[in-house]
Amino acid sequence: MIVANTLFTRLVRNSPYLLIALLVVPVLGGLLGVLLPAFGWFPALGANEFGLFGFIQLFNTPGIERMVMLSFGTSLISTLLAFVITVLILASYFNSPWLKRIQRLLGPILVIPHAAAAIAIGFLITPSGFLSRLVSPWLSGWDVPPDWLFPHDPYGLSIILGLTLKELPFLLLIALGVLAQPEIGKTLKAQHKVASSLGYCPMTGFFKVILPSLYGYMRLPILAVLAYSSASVEIPLILGSNTPPTLAVAIMQWFSDVDLSLRIKASSGAILQILITLSLLGSWCLLELLVKKCSASFLVNGEREYGGMLIQRVTHLITTVMLSVIGLALVAMVLWSFAGFWSFPDLLPQQLVTLHWSSALLQMQTPLFNTLVIAISTTLIAIALTLFVLEAEQQNTKTISAISGFIIYLPLLIPSIAFLFGLVWLFEQVNSQHAYINVVFSHLLFVLPYVFLSLANSYRRLDPRFSTVAASLGVPPSKIFWQLKLPLLLSPILIASALGLAISFSQYLPTLLSGAGRINTITTEAVTLANGASRRTSAVYALMQMLLPALFFILAWAAPKLFFRNRG
Amino acid sequence: MQVNSYFSLYLNKYWRQLVISLCLLSVFSLSSNSFANQVNSTAESTSRVWKNVEMRGTKQNVYFHAWGGDQQINNYIQWVAEQVKEKYQINLHHVKLTDTSEAVSRVLAEKAADNHRNGQVDLVWINGANFASMAKYQLLAADWAGELPNFQLTNPTNNPAMTRDFGVPTQGMEAPWGQAALTFYFDSLKVNDVPETLSDLLIWSEKHPGHFTYPKPPDFLGMSFLKYALLVLSESQPSSIQDQLYQPVTAESEAALLPALWQFLDQLHPTLWRQGKHFVSNGLALRRLMSDTELQVSFTFSAAEIPSAISRYDLPDSTRSYRMKDGSLSNIHFVAIPYNSPHIEGAKLVANFLLSPEAQARKQKTAIWGDSSVLDLSQLTPTQKALFDVNEKQHLSANIINIDNTRLLSELHPSWVKVITEQWLTRYGVQ
Repeated sequence: MIVANTLFTRLVRNSPYLLIALLVVPVLGGLLGVLLPAFGWFPALGANEFGLFGFIQLFNTPGIERMVMLSFGTSLISTLLAFVITVLILASYFNSPWLKRIQRLLGPILVIPHAAAAIAIGFLITPSGFLSRLVSPWLSGWDVPPDWLFPHDPYGLSIILGLTLKELPFLLLIALGVLAQPEIGKTLKAQHKVASSLGYCPMTGFFKVILPSLYGYMRLPILAVLAYSSASVEIPLILGSNTPPTLAVAIMQWFSDVDLSLRIKASSGAILQILITLSLLGSWCLLELLVKKCSASFLVNGEREYGGMLIQRVTHLITTVMLSVIGLALVAMVLWSFAGFWSFPDLLPQQLVTLHWSSALLQMQTPLFNTLVIAISTTLIAIALTLFVLEAEQQNTKTISAISGFIIYLPLLIPSIAFLFGLVWLFEQVNSQHAYINVVFSHLLFVLPYVFLSLANSYRRLDPRFSTVAASLGVPPSKIFWQLKLPLLLSPILIASALGLAISFSQYLPTLLSGAGRINTITTEAVTLANGASRRTSAVYALMQMLLPALFFILAWAAPKLFFRNRG
Repeated sequence: MQVNSYFSLYLNKYWRQLVISLCLLSVFSLSSNSFANQVNSTAESTSRVWKNVEMRGTKQNVYFHAWGGDQQINNYIQWVAEQVKEKYQINLHHVKLTDTSEAVSRVLAEKAADNHRNGQVDLVWINGANFASMAKYQLLAADWAGELPNFQLTNPTNNPAMTRDFGVPTQGMEAPWGQAALTFYFDSLKVNDVPETLSDLLIWSEKHPGHFTYPKPPDFLGMSFLKYALLVLSESQPSSIQDQLYQPVTAESEAALLPALWQFLDQLHPTLWRQGKHFVSNGLALRRLMSDTELQVSFTFSAAEIPSAISRYDLPDSTRSYRMKDGSLSNIHFVAIPYNSPHIEGAKLVANFLLSPEAQARKQKTAIWGDSSVLDLSQLTPTQKALFDVNEKQHLSANIINIDNTRLLSELHPSWVKVITEQWLTRYGVQ
């Protein structure tokens, strides 16, 4: 396509370079900042010789193999579970109003920061938790909480539970986002109808017709989830065992140990963490190949029915259990935020007070302001840049190269714990003293990929004939972009914005490290308090953290409806 | 979490006695503490130097990196910010840390990046191992604490504790801020046979399995429990061996002292919460478990947090606190200025204000924070002394049982922390 050389097209054409630079420089720079110490180079500690002693120290750590296994196992199993349940829910409730309802019920989970979710789940399942109070003492006979090793079990079951519950809504939202795109959604739904009319049971129809196409769109998000969970810190820290902990938790503890020489071991650990994450991604791809091989004949064997009813029932059960777990955790969280003293085995607090809310709200204003300013500026940059890059693709009539495509996901695929400490070192190198800018910059690393992830497919699948027709009528590219494409894409753009805001809201380590701790957000406050002793105050902050993004998601869902109603 | 430790109000009584006896002692023997002497000899020039500090420190932005996990302490620092704003037009920003080592990392990263003038940390709340680390890598400004006019109110000449941090000489790199001692607490409705010595604790825990635990080292509070146990267990040893706990650890002292600790823990662990197969990661989690009634006896360095937690419903009203009869580990916490702080004068003004009778007296009030003052009351004017008078109404849990008849145990040399942590992790870290 020949494109006019206007300011708009020049801007668009150069945007991919900016995007790549914004993502590559900090990540690679950050990696360099851990790679050097990992191999023994840390002049500030008087370590000036390259060597493997960091790794030797690492492999001599008691329980290192258990740490690695725990990291590997919990993330693989939880991602697998989250994916399978997502697919089951989609298959069972496809074309049913329940799908929207489940999405709405699960939506809030997506936006709860991991630490808050872990605490909520923890309260539910600890021996003195809500579940055990529900059956005590009338059924269980417990007057004092039983002394079980759950959560914190050595097999990581509680970590898997926490991660699955957090990953599931994300995958479901991504899948529904794909299906919500007019082009793909309509095609897939039409194909599903054809399958049904050919006598396929709706469930079989879903697996044979929709899933193979849908999976392609979900693949990268799944890999990102896998990478994230292999190196996430909050959930294993709160729900997991610490004898030994997962590798990521151990690395974080070494990095923050008072014994500064442990930082070399921590850096070596960060390199090992990257290898684990890479091997997880590799394992997933192998698994994919295997499933593809095994299911090839299944797709075309013409079988119409595979016990769909049974699967549906199982799904109902899983969904019900899951929703009740989430519901109970939410109820418990609300109760904690109003609780007076609340001893075991009382099901309800002895009295309800508003003290925790009133004192927390007084202290919340500055953090709230910071949270909003940072999230909104980050998201605006991310959305604008993403749209320009996607537009550049269309003007060049080819998608960005495979390398660039990979780079966009770099911050999601490389464990953040591995490069964030290096990133702080990088900010130091360029002597960047503007804490706000540093924080926005580091949030962008995580917001940009998610926004891109959630917008790219919709943008690429937008029927090119719209713009071709408009262009043939002499409409300039900038006008096509602003007045044709953006309105058509309003819904995905708003969802991507809400997602971007939510991601920014929930960032803990990046805010803390690149803001030099000078910028308090709701999340940094919440995590600080979550590690504190008061479940009541942390419940208040956790609820605030949920309300904030939930508000924006509601706006994102409601706005297009209003917008299109005015047009209709 | 290293510095969220503080004495209760009541320790002050003990402290007063100690100070008075130290004063009497000093009449007969002059202290040999070189730093303190140096402070005295330079006292005349101090006022000129200080005028200069006051002039240059006014209107600076001071970034105070301090653990931010306690709302009471945060509110107190907020009050300090208002005061220094009024007095010196200083904008004091409280950078809330979850762990003091974050500030240590930051200064280290700055040094690694050759940022020797424009650091982000102006003042840091610190003690113990974090201080030893920062001092070792020369990350702190030295020889400034003696300049502070209010530093003299701690009577450093006669009070060597003010110039030693866990046995390591501070060399003017830190100004004292407050002090703390290990305090135990229990639910008086559930426990009627409170363990009052270390050996009692083992017997009690065998009788009531699953209701006691300690945080996993290297957590500060967990490490403090291990130090307390080690100090008590080493009492059967000759004093020449006991003294090695206050010196850098050697292979011999390790072999002589640590086996008793491991033997004790081998017995204790099966009786702990979760059979000693899981340990909480930080000290505050203990209070949450107390509140969940999973634990029945627990401990803290901040006795004042107990009445305040009760008033916020985070602990039952029937909670009471006490000191172990066989000793209570105690330490002083400080503020330090990193070597690359661009606002060193402002930071000194804040450190000086923190040591003022006004700020120390307010800090000591249970309703405010309850952290014991480091000032020597004999150095104060009657009006200043009056600020310390107690006339608040207090919860019963603020009366610490055994406060007057417990010995205070001094902190071990910081090098023990690493050895204990490593061996603990090898023995109990993988279950």
